[in-house]
Amino acid sequence: MSTHVQVMRYVRRLIAGVFLPATAAMAASGAGDWPTAAHDDAGTRFSPLAQITTANVATLRLSWSFSTSTDKGEEAAPIVADGTMFVVTSFPHRVLAFDLASPEHRLRWSFDPRPDPGARGVACCDVVNRGAAYADGRLFFCTLDDQVLALDARTGKELWRRKLGDYATGQSMTMAPLVVRDKVLVGNDGDAFGVRGFIAALDAATGQERWRAYSTGPDADVRIGSAFKPFYASDRGTDLGVATWPPEAWKIGGGSVGGWLSYDAQLDLLYHGTGSPAPGNPVQRPGANKWTSALFARHPDAGDAAWAYQTSPHDRHGYDGSNESVLVDLPIGGQPRHVLLHPDRNGYLYVIDRATGEVLSADAYALVTTAHGVDPATGAMRSEPSKEPAIDRVVREICPGSAGAKNWQPSAWSPRTRLLYLPHQNLCEDATAFEVSHIGGTPYIGMEAKMHAPPGAWRGVLTAWDPVGRRKAWTLEEPFPIWSGALATAGDLVFYGTMDGWFKAVDARTGRALWKFRTASGIVGQPIAFSGGDGHEYVAVLAGVGGWAGLVVSNDLDTRDGTAARGFVAAMKDLPAATSRGGMLYVFRLP
Amino acid sequence: MSDALDAAGPQAAWIARLWWISLWLCVAVFIGVMGALCWALWRSHRTAAAGGDAPARKDRALRILVGCATLLSSVLLVGLLEVSVLTDRALARLPGKDAVAIHVIAHQWWWEMVYQDPRADHVFSTANELVIPVGRPVVVTLEADDVIHSFWVPNLHGKKDLIPGRTSTIAFRADRPGRFVGRCAEFCGVQHAFMAYDVVAMPPDGYAAWVQHERSAAPEPQAAAAMRGRELFLTGSCMLCHAVQGTSAQGRRGPDLTHFASRAHIGAGSVANTPEALARWIEDPQKLKPGANMPSHFLPPADLAALVAYLETLT
Amino acid sequence: MSFACPRTCVVAGLAALVSALPGCEREARRFDPVPIAPDARSRADALTSFAAGPPGRGMTERAAAGGYDERNAYVLAQGKRYYRWFNCTGCHAQGGGGSGPPLMDAGWIYGKTPGDVFTTIMDGRPNGMPAFRGRIPEEQAWQIAAYVRSLSGLVPDDAAPNRDDSLLGAPPENLREPARPEDKR
Repeated sequence: MSTHVQVMRYVRRLIAGVFLPATAAMAASGAGDWPTAAHDDAGTRFSPLAQITTANVATLRLSWSFSTSTDKGEEAAPIVADGTMFVVTSFPHRVLAFDLASPEHRLRWSFDPRPDPGARGVACCDVVNRGAAYADGRLFFCTLDDQVLALDARTGKELWRRKLGDYATGQSMTMAPLVVRDKVLVGNDGDAFGVRGFIAALDAATGQERWRAYSTGPDADVRIGSAFKPFYASDRGTDLGVATWPPEAWKIGGGSVGGWLSYDAQLDLLYHGTGSPAPGNPVQRPGANKWTSALFARHPDAGDAAWAYQTSPHDRHGYDGSNESVLVDLPIGGQPRHVLLHPDRNGYLYVIDRATGEVLSADAYALVTTAHGVDPATGAMRSEPSKEPAIDRVVREICPGSAGAKNWQPSAWSPRTRLLYLPHQNLCEDATAFEVSHIGGTPYIGMEAKMHAPPGAWRGVLTAWDPVGRRKAWTLEEPFPIWSGALATAGDLVFYGTMDGWFKAVDARTGRALWKFRTASGIVGQPIAFSGGDGHEYVAVLAGVGGWAGLVVSNDLDTRDGTAARGFVAAMKDLPAATSRGGMLYVFRLP
Repeated sequence: MSDALDAAGPQAAWIARLWWISLWLCVAVFIGVMGALCWALWRSHRTAAAGGDAPARKDRALRILVGCATLLSSVLLVGLLEVSVLTDRALARLPGKDAVAIHVIAHQWWWEMVYQDPRADHVFSTANELVIPVGRPVVVTLEADDVIHSFWVPNLHGKKDLIPGRTSTIAFRADRPGRFVGRCAEFCGVQHAFMAYDVVAMPPDGYAAWVQHERSAAPEPQAAAAMRGRELFLTGSCMLCHAVQGTSAQGRRGPDLTHFASRAHIGAGSVANTPEALARWIEDPQKLKPGANMPSHFLPPADLAALVAYLETLT
Repeated sequence: MSFACPRTCVVAGLAALVSALPGCEREARRFDPVPIAPDARSRADALTSFAAGPPGRGMTERAAAGGYDERNAYVLAQGKRYYRWFNCTGCHAQGGGGSGPPLMDAGWIYGKTPGDVFTTIMDGRPNGMPAFRGRIPEEQAWQIAAYVRSLSGLVPDDAAPNRDDSLLGAPPENLREPARPEDKR
């Protein structure tokens, strides 16, 4: 380790000792760093820095900014480690490394992975990238054309790259990897194309694939073995990943692992969700369609599953299970429990015992017309039959719609307020189903929809959820869906961005608006907080509208067709007037 | 054969019975009315020749006769009504125990049959062929993909329309083994006339074996020609519309071909399923069934032969 | 009432018959695949009205030889059928776009002539449009190309398809005027 790094670490520790309260055991490498998109293995997105507080945030001002030279959705979280900030842009996924020690924050290096432009045709939800991961001097990230790359964080030199599939089949990769010990964990995208989902572990030093666990198929492929102990009876059986599908349908069954990963070092369990089944038209795939729309706990060394639970068996509306699971310890029923908080797309916030997979509570955090809650005895979701999609018939007021009550945009947890901050949307949809052929490389959905906000509701909402009290502590409404991530800090602040270009800070306890800044383009990125080498706390976010909700602007769609962007355009016809394209990194600090 | 009077099950038997009763009743009435007409003509001729007027006694007799005829007509009509009601009731009361559930979707101009099962991995699709067990009720749910069609197997039941956006049901039972013909009975476009399907009633053992076989994926081709044919199938236009389970072909817009070679006809009853006819069909289906949604493929003769060889392995 | 004026009626009947003849073209259904005509050039002349720029790679002749006809309602209806069957709606919706660009607006990245659209479908394009050559037969690809042009109102109104039975996303094709850049907002 060089002298420079040693000095920086000492300085950071000094700042931490002076300014910061003691943090939870799952802290990152340096307390002021942000080494992975979720900040830590538990996925809290909580910064222990408290220099910026509710008292002084009103004076927060722009410190520096940098254009990404791209004009699609910027969904990444900037990564800060080793005195450097790493930003992965939207396609073509340039990696920008900024030297935080230099006063002008010069680019130390940049890297162009040169992904294949043909992959842009199989991006369901804009050509985004959700960020890199830093570990042991290496930077890991994925590209849309199914490559995983490792760079030397110092020099930007490519250490290895591994191709995990072929985009001609419809597969892409957009997720932010997670590093556990010596392995980099990545998963694919492609439910909308009938791609069979998987999660894979690559050796961090060489890129060799150590194991791969599919989301459908025989137990051996799903890595279900003797260690598998699901809590509910409906998840027990042999080869359920085949038996709950029409013959052969599991091979094109979806279940992508394109969402968030979290890890509990004490239990040695990795947590991830699987995407929704393919095709979206449920009539074509009778059966429970395991193991799509499910949560998994796996042992990261070999990938064998410890437990699994399907949040939406025989999913009917595109409710992926791949939203984040935030690992916290909470008093439930008077007892301290090791749980995960999982705000699912189906509108329910699950509190699940992360050792066993038992659902302790599942409460609706948004308007739900498609189900009547989880049956506590069997764990099954009680679906509402009148909202079942049908061929040649239109089913109306499907709430939440196929974008879910909350989509990919990650929530943040504050151990100080004990609240989970959910950036999400109020969107229902009218939908009809039609028979769809699987033609490799083309969408395999079979649904047509138009989204709209429920009457009287605003399209965007920030919900502060109390998982112990099982209720909303407060909510904030926004005219557009909140498609950015949330950041919680020890200064009792919550940061988020809006699609019309407002970066906002609110009081974490009350939701009172405290500060806002107008950015050049709508924000769909993940805000972070970090300490620069100069004793200041910084907050950074990427602006650049896009993502599935922002396709109407990033792909210049025609607003006269409400079914465009799988129904999102019907709900976003006013976005082009409110913002325009253009990626930009913004970094803020106190004066 | 498709003969509504050759009933192979209780539904068709009831309908045929009603038909025969109506026929003989109407024949009897017809003879009676014609007879009365002839007698009236002969009588009036005689009365005119006699130049007289009818005495009052004959007038009263006439009134009684007309009154009785009217009464008899009413009784016969009510009788027909009652027979009709009894028939309808019997049609609706087919015992449904241990029924086979089949989902039929009508397309322009072919039939898709999806055999249901509580176990998802036992569900399978076939096309233009309805195989049913003898002695067990069959409950068919009917849906249409595009326009109104009608399901009609004369030997087994009457007609039931398939209307887009609605699901309807028809239930029947075959009481003897045999091969029957089903047709589309509602004009649905240019090839409405060539939208037939084979209905095969098998003894229970044969049916169970057939179901077991249909659930299996297509076998691996062994001969070089068949392997080349599969390659053409999967890399050419066939996979856009057709499915063969066990391969990457998962099209849903044309008939499922997994067990195509065991079917009796090609193109929903257009031609018999022989290798020569299959070659002609693949090359130019528009010649055999103009307007069908399957396009023509003018392949080199070797490729066409390979494709036919492959399809012949799909038993 | 006596039925006089036979001559007037004959004239009126002939007039009605003559005026109905143009409708035959809209409704004519040609099921035989079109053979490539040796003198394609003479048929090309009739199709130059919509060529905005140079045809590119002899596509106007190719369009004529392949039997491209956007004045026929059956061709456009079949194109609409295959547009859905081959998953075009998955990326392009009912013309509004999605992961693919919109097809109902005035912007054409790779050209809007029938030959350009045909080439796009058959050979794909660099930023993610798949290539369907060898999969979609040529005659069907011309039908789809005609339908794609109808999405932005470039085909005669009486031949364009009208409201279909699906969820109504965009106005029916036969109500669309040729798209202008200011239309989409």
